[in-house]
Amino acid sequence: MRLSDSGRHIIIYIKTMPDTQTPVIELRSLKKRFGIGDAEHYALDGVDLRIERGEFVAVMGPSGCGKTTLLNIIGLLDRSTDGDYKLDGIEVSTISAHRQARIRSHQIGFIFQSFNLISRLNVIENVALPLTYKGITRTKRLIAASKILRTFHLEEREYYMPHQLSGGQTQRVAIARALVNEPSIILADEPTGNLDSRSSHVIMEELSDLHRRGNTIIMVTHNPRLTSYASRVITMLDGRIDSDTNTLIDEIKAPISEAAAPAHSPKKHKKTKGHHSKSRYRIHIGRRKK
Amino acid sequence: MRSLMINHIQNARQSLRSNRLRSYLTMLGVTIGVASVTVILSLSGGASQVVSSQVDALGGNIAVIRPEAAQKNTVPNLTQITSQRDFSASTLTEHDLKLIKAIQHVDQAAPLMVLGGAIKGEKLAPANSTIVATTPELATISKLVVADGQFLSDDINQNTVVIGDQLSINVFGTDRSLGRALTIRGQPFTIVGILKRLNNPINYNAVDFDNSVIINYESGKQLGQITPQIQQIDVRSDSVNNLGQAIIDINKVLSTSHNGENDFTVLSGSQIAQPTSQLFFAMAGVTTAIAAISLLVGGIGIMNIMLVSVAERTREIGIRKALGANNQDIMSQFMIESMAIGLGGGITGYLVGYLISYGICSFLPFEPVITWQIAATAAFISVVMGTVFGIYPALRAAHKDPIESLREYS
Ligand SMILES: Nc1ncnc2c1ncn2[C@@H]1O[C@H](COP(=O)(O)OP(=O)(O)OP(=O)(O)O)[C@@H](O)[C@H]1O
Ligand SMILES: [Mg+2]
Repeated sequence: MRLSDSGRHIIIYIKTMPDTQTPVIELRSLKKRFGIGDAEHYALDGVDLRIERGEFVAVMGPSGCGKTTLLNIIGLLDRSTDGDYKLDGIEVSTISAHRQARIRSHQIGFIFQSFNLISRLNVIENVALPLTYKGITRTKRLIAASKILRTFHLEEREYYMPHQLSGGQTQRVAIARALVNEPSIILADEPTGNLDSRSSHVIMEELSDLHRRGNTIIMVTHNPRLTSYASRVITMLDGRIDSDTNTLIDEIKAPISEAAAPAHSPKKHKKTKGHHSKSRYRIHIGRRKK
Repeated sequence: MRSLMINHIQNARQSLRSNRLRSYLTMLGVTIGVASVTVILSLSGGASQVVSSQVDALGGNIAVIRPEAAQKNTVPNLTQITSQRDFSASTLTEHDLKLIKAIQHVDQAAPLMVLGGAIKGEKLAPANSTIVATTPELATISKLVVADGQFLSDDINQNTVVIGDQLSINVFGTDRSLGRALTIRGQPFTIVGILKRLNNPINYNAVDFDNSVIINYESGKQLGQITPQIQQIDVRSDSVNNLGQAIIDINKVLSTSHNGENDFTVLSGSQIAQPTSQLFFAMAGVTTAIAAISLLVGGIGIMNIMLVSVAERTREIGIRKALGANNQDIMSQFMIESMAIGLGGGITGYLVGYLISYGICSFLPFEPVITWQIAATAAFISVVMGTVFGIYPALRAAHKDPIESLREYS
């Protein structure tokens, strides 16, 4: 109950800001069931979540807790079994398939956990692919793709086939592809899973930059250090939201103390101690006071 | 969304290229089908051109009357190659002939009765030889010229025969067989004339005169031993301008004599110019069958390969959908691919068809025709093939669930 209270609290706050009247993403007791009968299993078991425009949300949690499933549903790739999902204030189940494809094309950038490059297309064609469905001409597509590949230091790999890339390069190509159509919502499923810390930071800087420019980012990660880039951290457990830094702030209404961090998450303990955490909350509080 | 279309085309080309052999094999079915269609059309066009030029050469005052039954029988029928056409019951009678001859503008009329049976000189004549029973007028109407001797006439013996040049060579070993004896259906005949070579197996009389014996109508009646079956009456009007009136009168007179029964047709000009040769029908029959079968098989091949292609690319479909492709985008991607297979096969088929046609025509007295209609037909067939047989696989691709597709491993 407290969660939804705090939610309302934020809403009132944010309504004073012109750009963010409705939350971009609003989930209410969202459930996703896999299998039937004895094999029945809830990958999402009642998720309540409200994400405002311009948030950078890091999602953490043990393997199999439903993070990918959640991103798939948010990204309109999958449908929930139960519960509500409002995207920009519109109930998703009422949006036609055609319109959903359009939203995916124009608003959402998806970075898959398993990259999902098309194996028979080369790097630049893969990166240019999302622009195809926006109706952009081939030359313009290739120019845009080339430009974004340069940001990820892949300009020399443009004509490589996906199988000729290293894991990290593949990942960067996948990220470049997700960002090429300048989506306002970026869904990243472990975008830095295969990268060394330097490359990770290149990616994270890029995401931070997008965040600064007002885009919404939801990123799944297993690396607690990367959560410092986020404005909000959510932990999931067994298909539910286990903790949410937004809630913590509402609980404490003051600079966070270590005691507020969930006791059963040792990683998190460590992280809150880190110097990044301070800046995270500073940013967040600053936003609220705007 | 022009650029999207272009993209789909580029994409289809790329995907067909990456499976080159498979694409070519799939095209083969369409190629054979379209080639057969092209052969049929170009040859039949060529044949009717020959016939119509003959009709023109005849002076434009010729009309042909055929029983309706005979018209129906012009459907290609392979069984008719060997057994000569015995029209079960012709609706044209000798009485009709008399009535036609009496019409004002009709100058001449000749009945044509084609009989089956053995022709024997020194040797037995080949099976494609024809026995034609007619009246002397045929020579004038159809401009038959004798090289040696004379044509049939009413005042010489009934059992006389005019022989085609080639048939003479076939049964006597020479084209100088004037005066020699011949048996037709066991009856003895004497050769009174040898036709000048026509080299014209396809004509409006549907008789290859080079390979025929022409006997008197009365003799033919005796040989036939049943009520005479007139397959055709050739009519010549007294002038080109009066042909129209003559045809109107013929229709009127025959209609009355047949008690209003519309069981005959009067054809003139280009209407006659429909190929009726047995040779042609044999060819057309075989090629139509090949065309139909290979188009069907080719179509199933397209569908099969497209289903494989969709299955192989399930994951790609998932990715594309995730990146913003809608159902129509996926649909057109696969439709264009199947249409490209159809069209590719069609273009090759069209070219191969003409190669075959020219090959065949080196043995025939005419050239295949090249018209835009044939090209359009070939294009139409190939696009329709690609569309009809590609639509189901494309629909399957379009309706794949994105997340299910992404889970697929490939
Ligand atoms: N198609 C499916 N059929 C059945 N169960 C599924 C299916 N997809 C996911 N699950 C189950 O749902 C649960 C959540 O899966 P999900 O992929 O969301 O986990 P995750 O949090 O992303 O894990 P990881 O960190 O390892 O990527 C898992 O227990 C998984 O077995
Ligand atoms: Mg996952």
